[in-house]
Amino acid sequence: MRDEPTAEAESPLRPYDEMLTPDSQVRPHYAALDARLATLSPAELAERQRTQERFFLLQGITFTVYGAESSTERIIPSDILPRIIPSAEWARIEAGLKQRLQALNTFLADIYSEQQILMDGVVPRELVLQAPSYRREMQNLYVPHKAYANVCGSDLIRQPSGEFAVLEDNLRVPSGVSYMLANREASRRVFPGTFRGAGVRSIDRYPDLLLSTLKSMAADWRPNPQVVVLTPGVYNSAYYEHAYLARLMGAPLVEGRDLVVHDNMVYMRTTTGLRRIDVIYRRVDDDFIDPLTFRRDSSLGAAGLFNAYRAGNVVICNAPGTGVADDKAVYAYVPEIIRYYLGEEPILPNIETFLCREPAQLSHVLANLDKLVVKAVGASGGYGMLVGPHATRAQRAEFADALTANPENYIAQPTIQLSTAPCLIDGEVEPRHVDLRPFILCGEKIVVTPGALTRVALKKGSLVVNSSQGGGSKDTWVLSDGKGDRG
Amino acid sequence: MMLARVADSLYWIGRYVERAEHMCRLSDVMLNATLDRSEAATQVARIALAAVGDPDLAKAHNPYDAAQALALDREDDGSIYSSIARARENARQVRDQITTETWERLNLIYLRMSGPEAAKAFADGSQLFLHDTIADLHLFKGAGDATMSHGEGWSFLLLGVYLERAQLIGSLLEVAFGEGRKRRPISDHFALTSVLRMGCALEPYLRVYTAEMQRRYILKFLMLDEDFPRSIRFCTQEIETHLTAITRHAGISGPAGPDRIAGRLRARLQYADMAELEAQGATAFLKTVLEECSTIHRALYDAFVAYPLEDRLPA
Repeated sequence: MRDEPTAEAESPLRPYDEMLTPDSQVRPHYAALDARLATLSPAELAERQRTQERFFLLQGITFTVYGAESSTERIIPSDILPRIIPSAEWARIEAGLKQRLQALNTFLADIYSEQQILMDGVVPRELVLQAPSYRREMQNLYVPHKAYANVCGSDLIRQPSGEFAVLEDNLRVPSGVSYMLANREASRRVFPGTFRGAGVRSIDRYPDLLLSTLKSMAADWRPNPQVVVLTPGVYNSAYYEHAYLARLMGAPLVEGRDLVVHDNMVYMRTTTGLRRIDVIYRRVDDDFIDPLTFRRDSSLGAAGLFNAYRAGNVVICNAPGTGVADDKAVYAYVPEIIRYYLGEEPILPNIETFLCREPAQLSHVLANLDKLVVKAVGASGGYGMLVGPHATRAQRAEFADALTANPENYIAQPTIQLSTAPCLIDGEVEPRHVDLRPFILCGEKIVVTPGALTRVALKKGSLVVNSSQGGGSKDTWVLSDGKGDRG
Repeated sequence: MMLARVADSLYWIGRYVERAEHMCRLSDVMLNATLDRSEAATQVARIALAAVGDPDLAKAHNPYDAAQALALDREDDGSIYSSIARARENARQVRDQITTETWERLNLIYLRMSGPEAAKAFADGSQLFLHDTIADLHLFKGAGDATMSHGEGWSFLLLGVYLERAQLIGSLLEVAFGEGRKRRPISDHFALTSVLRMGCALEPYLRVYTAEMQRRYILKFLMLDEDFPRSIRFCTQEIETHLTAITRHAGISGPAGPDRIAGRLRARLQYADMAELEAQGATAFLKTVLEECSTIHRALYDAFVAYPLEDRLPA
């Protein structure tokens, strides 16, 4: 975050190419894949792509598109060409993610108890306390290991300089990890030889690590805690993932209607009667957890669940109220938050962010609307957003009015050039823009799985990687020590 | 221990899969009969339609259209498509409880039946289509048998299969051999063979009773045979076995527990005497069997799925 907005214009820097150097040489960690690709005809590549799509369809890794007449199930496009990250680069990402999550969890523990950071004026008090994602109910509630966000899926991007930066911290109910695992299963089949030779680090232990993270949240009062996954149900677009994780952890997949709260204890209805639950890995948003505490019209959670949580008889993961730490306005303060709690410089930088609530920054944003991306603080998923360079004059004028009327509602960022990676498009290898979503687990300790979901903007030139808007994904190979590092 | 909702879904997967398989077989026999333009063919089609519960027996004059609707009609809850779609929807809801191998088989059948090519595949070779569907349903059961743990969940799935099967075979026999209907009794060799085919019983029957087609033997075989997996007696043996296993596991048993009702039904079939049964009339006997099956279904729900919470809260 900066006090004085800089006037530097966004130079039309070339996006970083994951495979090729600026003088079109293949980077060393991509050499083996490049050599393999040279031996395959477009027809053979297309055939492998079809095999992969069939694998996803058979596994039922689909999302449902509800139409007027009938609903159809579609697969999320999965590109067969892996994105490769050398070990030294990964080491830096891993250290940066750990540092960041540690600071954010400390921040959550602080604002839900002493609020020291607000008293010291490092983060504006009203910014936190007035955020819709701030949960008053969480105040002074004991959270084991101060691990509020147990599962985090941060969105990283690689800037034209080659440096990775954090675009967003997802601390609520991040999804996508099943695609990371399914992409891996698929790409191992598509390029077995290349995979074997590359020294790719394994991600298979993710479900196991997730389970031990969840168990560690109740370990000090239950020797062998009963863990369940709470899903909104089969019509949720991420249902496949909920079932997948439950299956691989060996934990029951429960819905709200399976739960019963009695005397501040949570039970599930089983064939042999009621069985006590200790840890709930919930894939239901805060608002829907408990109609008595949050939204009254919700039937996705269980009445009385939050009181059982307050009483310390059950652990909800992620804790309610974590959203305040991935709020778009709080985001701008994360580097300061890291310095404040850890006394360290952030390893992974933020994207330059202008807070419209600061008058000086607002005037800079208004003067540069044609170059900036403006985002509403409370919205997500691409809603309430203005992409300056692609907007019409009328749209910009409309946003300028909204900004002036309600500045604290908006932030702005430069248009970011995502890096590109080779993708298979109609049998040809072409560059497409990608981001990177690694998954971090935090219970008794913090663990980063050496892999990630690489999301792809499949439309040529597009920067939108969301699956709802024509995005796809691909496997991400993190290479083991000494493999693929430069020199 | 498993979630009550999950047990319920597994049970219904079993029921729908069994129903789909049976419907495929009825359609197949019906289509096969059309190759033979005799009066018996119409009679066979009528039996098949009555056995699937279709009140409009006039359709028997156009068996191909009837079979196609039975297979693919999405609006009809009783079609093969609907049964497969529901089995698969239930499987999706308990995707964490069934192995990938088992899921893949069922999903494959669903994708084929729901895909745009389904109608064409049926038109190009309806019997082949039905034959493949039956074979895939067998693969589904085989994959489940070979890869799933044979614990509580598996018992619930098989309970669904055998309860459904007992009821389907019971209805088929009632339609084919019941008294008090306006139709004259089936005696034609072709029609009798067709009934055995509908119960997938022709070859096993021949090994026991040779090619002598007698209504009485067929009734006895499909009702009381100890070893044939589609006889009602065999089904009740399996129902009792799985209910006993589940009940023991749950530690609940009472005078009206589902396992006792199942045991009583099994004993009734085990010690049934054909002469006595004929004196009483097959219809009355089959009616009792079907009623007992419904009672078991309800008792199962009361004991394991929809039990009142007050009884189970910790003191």
